[in-house]
Amino acid sequence: MNVRSNQMKLGIGAVVTAVFLLTVAIPFWVSSPTNVPNIVLAPTFWPQILAAVTGVTGVGLMVFSSRRRAVTSTSGLEAEEKGAAIFRMIGLAAIMGLALLAMPRLGLVWTAMLVFAALAFLVRTRHPGIVLICAVAVPLILYGFFAHVAGVAIPQGHFVRLP
Amino acid sequence: MSFSDSILAGLSLVANFESFLSLFIGVAVGTVAGAIPGMSATMAVALALPFTFSMTPITGILLLLGVYKGGIFGGSIPAILIKTPGTPASSATILDGYPLAEKGQAGKALGMALWASCTADLISNLSLILFAGWLASFALSFGPPEFFALILFSLTIIAGVSGESLLRGALSALLGLLLATIGLDLIYGTNRFTFGNPNMMGGLNFIAVLIGLFAIPEIIAMVWDPKAHEGKTRRLGEDRVTFQDYKSSFRSIVRGSFIGVFLGSIPGIGAAPSAFLSYSEARRKSKNKANFGHGEVEGVAAAEAGNNGVAGATLIPLLALGVPGDVITAIILGAFMVHGLQPGPMMFVMNSDIIYGLFVGLIVSSVFLFLIGSVAIKGFKYVAEIPRGVLFPGVMVLCIYGVFAVNNNLFDVGVMFAMGWVGYFMARFDVPTAPFLIAFVLGPLLEDSFRQSMLMSGSSPAVLFRGPICWFFWGLTCITVFAIIRSGARAARQSKKTEFVRQTP
Amino acid sequence: MKRVLRKILGAAALGVTATAAFADYPERPINMVIPYGAGGATDISARSISAPLGEAVGKPLVMVNITGAGGATGSVTIQNASADGYKMLFARVGSHSVSPAMKAALPYTLDDFRFVTVYEINPVACAVTPASGITSMEALVAKAKEGGVSYSSSGVGSLPHLAAVMVMDEFGVENPLQSVTHIPQKGGGGAATAVLNGTVTFLCTNSSSLAGFVANGQLVPLLVTTAEPVVGFDAPTSVDLGKPELQKLVGWTGIAGPDDLPDDVAAKWGVWMQAATDDPKFRDTMETRGSVIDLMSPQEADAFIQGQYDSFRALVDKLGMRIEG
Repeated sequence: MNVRSNQMKLGIGAVVTAVFLLTVAIPFWVSSPTNVPNIVLAPTFWPQILAAVTGVTGVGLMVFSSRRRAVTSTSGLEAEEKGAAIFRMIGLAAIMGLALLAMPRLGLVWTAMLVFAALAFLVRTRHPGIVLICAVAVPLILYGFFAHVAGVAIPQGHFVRLP
Repeated sequence: MSFSDSILAGLSLVANFESFLSLFIGVAVGTVAGAIPGMSATMAVALALPFTFSMTPITGILLLLGVYKGGIFGGSIPAILIKTPGTPASSATILDGYPLAEKGQAGKALGMALWASCTADLISNLSLILFAGWLASFALSFGPPEFFALILFSLTIIAGVSGESLLRGALSALLGLLLATIGLDLIYGTNRFTFGNPNMMGGLNFIAVLIGLFAIPEIIAMVWDPKAHEGKTRRLGEDRVTFQDYKSSFRSIVRGSFIGVFLGSIPGIGAAPSAFLSYSEARRKSKNKANFGHGEVEGVAAAEAGNNGVAGATLIPLLALGVPGDVITAIILGAFMVHGLQPGPMMFVMNSDIIYGLFVGLIVSSVFLFLIGSVAIKGFKYVAEIPRGVLFPGVMVLCIYGVFAVNNNLFDVGVMFAMGWVGYFMARFDVPTAPFLIAFVLGPLLEDSFRQSMLMSGSSPAVLFRGPICWFFWGLTCITVFAIIRSGARAARQSKKTEFVRQTP
Repeated sequence: MKRVLRKILGAAALGVTATAAFADYPERPINMVIPYGAGGATDISARSISAPLGEAVGKPLVMVNITGAGGATGSVTIQNASADGYKMLFARVGSHSVSPAMKAALPYTLDDFRFVTVYEINPVACAVTPASGITSMEALVAKAKEGGVSYSSSGVGSLPHLAAVMVMDEFGVENPLQSVTHIPQKGGGGAATAVLNGTVTFLCTNSSSLAGFVANGQLVPLLVTTAEPVVGFDAPTSVDLGKPELQKLVGWTGIAGPDDLPDDVAAKWGVWMQAATDDPKFRDTMETRGSVIDLMSPQEADAFIQGQYDSFRALVDKLGMRIEG
């Protein structure tokens, strides 16, 4: 990847976003009353301006990308390591997704413990002992603080409730 | 009653053990609370409110003010150490504070944050005492058109934090502006991009976006390449801030303080824009322009001065007009009312002893802030030495708790995760994230004040130029935009020249 | 192993809730959702009652602010909550009678909630700045008929929004949606500032939000909507002005649960609220803020809210101000 192709991609992305916003997103997902006295007051006015400017910026990015020097940026990873890295990224996305599903059911504290441990082992921590202790202790301490000192209603799951 | 009499009357009211104790406890609690991401200064003040009911008015209000000031400073600690702003106001501190911590100079950054905070706090308090009446009447002349001109000018900050490419900065800002349109429309109450989801009707939570944009991408980057950070152990070291550093940043600190005072006295803007404006002004004026964003201690100083400068000044509209400028002052207003006091012009006449008592307390609070801040820095510095494999999962858990606590809503945790990926890919594509954030804060203000102005005038654009304040900010905007274009053109010419030199050896 | 353990634990937990019915309610802290932000009228009312109410309940009450969308975000969490009485809502005039009357796209209706009580009534007052030169409703109405009058509110579908329209309609301003301009602000503080700095002509809102400005001489009250005069407001009442219909225009705070809340839970709340509202300190705090403490039974509360909703809805339909979408 180099800066030039990056900028080209960004420009294309911006133009596509702008077109999508103007033709699909704003007409369908921004509701505007029919009796608006003046166009500048309509709820769609501001998003439309933003979409148009995004399009112009995208064109600008594309134009200027061709004038820029091509610099190869160092991504820092060997080709064979890249596969593992992508695999880890998918793992992280899965952790986040599962955490969102688990939080209302298991409760925030238990989910946080699992997230802590999963994340640490995903990056193959060199301190597994400390990690396990922290994975249990940190969420519990935070729970104690937020629930009992700050008076926040930390979600409890359907299974094991904490005092 | 003369000024000195008032001060003496105030002093007699404050000069007791309980007042100073409650102020001290307030600052300490605020600093710790501010240092916990998601426990914003607002939350800390709201939590402290019930305790003030049983105190005398002055003691209770000093407690709240202490929490407020401590909270605003405390927010800079996690911003510097783990790139997670404790309060929204400290998001500008990240820009240079975190790079400094990466370089092993967290001690220096924290020290400068403290010094700048205390200086700005003092200036802000003095401005409150000396110019409250004048600034309050000035604040009242800010209607929607003036607001629009001011916010438009503030958006030019984006150019200052865009890094090397203005276009990419603009792209980032546009993304922020677009995401800020999610929610109910202010004027007609209709849905915009909410997909019928009640959680989105209130718009994306600012703190969730903020933490998602700054803290989570660090975690994702570590997952992408765990080894990149393995060898590095960051040390707080003996690297302290020196008087020389302070002196060379002094101009930026004072400038930032006055920006804070000015923006703080206008209801409805808040500390985050002030910090960014102060930061970009410091960068524009500094000799080390290029080093900003890569760990320039003056940047930390400017950002912290900008947000602490607001702290005293938000009391100006509150005390002089009875108008709360933000949520924190709204809570403090509640505390006044519980004690049967009505802030406003009459309070300066009827309860001048309380007003001047507060002034004395505020001045003392700057001193307390310095003492407690120094201790807090020593306590928190060990965070910098925790190995990353343990620290980052901890940060993740802390962010989950903190973001949930802001609005008691699990949906916000999802927003944080999503914004984390957005932030990560922005970094991968060299798109700066700071413009996104500024635009996300200012965008709704810009749109709302524009449409309010149009409603006022019956859609005639002339209202946007209705008075000297408007002309002033339009003028500033034009000058700034012109300067940006000129320096952009110059940079383009320069790079072409170097390219030419390179191609013809 | 884990799964078995979880099953056992889950069964145990279910068993406890099933057998205990609601005789032992509450066994653990109750979450009380406040659908508005800290420092607002609902928040102050909720936090003032939390101390005496917590004593009456005997378990801690956890105050949970869930803000957004004019109270809708917080209200929805109760609409979807299980009806075990451990998650209750501080319902407010804006979220539970004005918004349902005005917003077609609101994700809930009044039928989704069971109101256990309404405990606080706030008179509504209309005020202008001294600089406007307006000193009576008559003068304001005359000016409104000429055109160029505007009012602020804390947002679309909030009490001040509807209040201003209703007052203008009652006083015979024709087609108030077009002849009087609504300039919404973000939140109650912004609404007050807009009157003070002359962005708008007048504001109708809770007397408690205006009391400070009136006491300081920054605003002049023109009208209070209750039949009784309000302390500190030197202004005619709706009865004095011959507009008794405006008595419906008051703010209120109540407590609600999901619609399938069991009867014995509702009954317990009735007892607790009686004890809490009898607390002299609570009464004192609220009354100095200009509120009227008036405890309603669930039936009375239902009738009161439905009555207010019906009269608001009639006005909304008459003027065509319902928001579709």
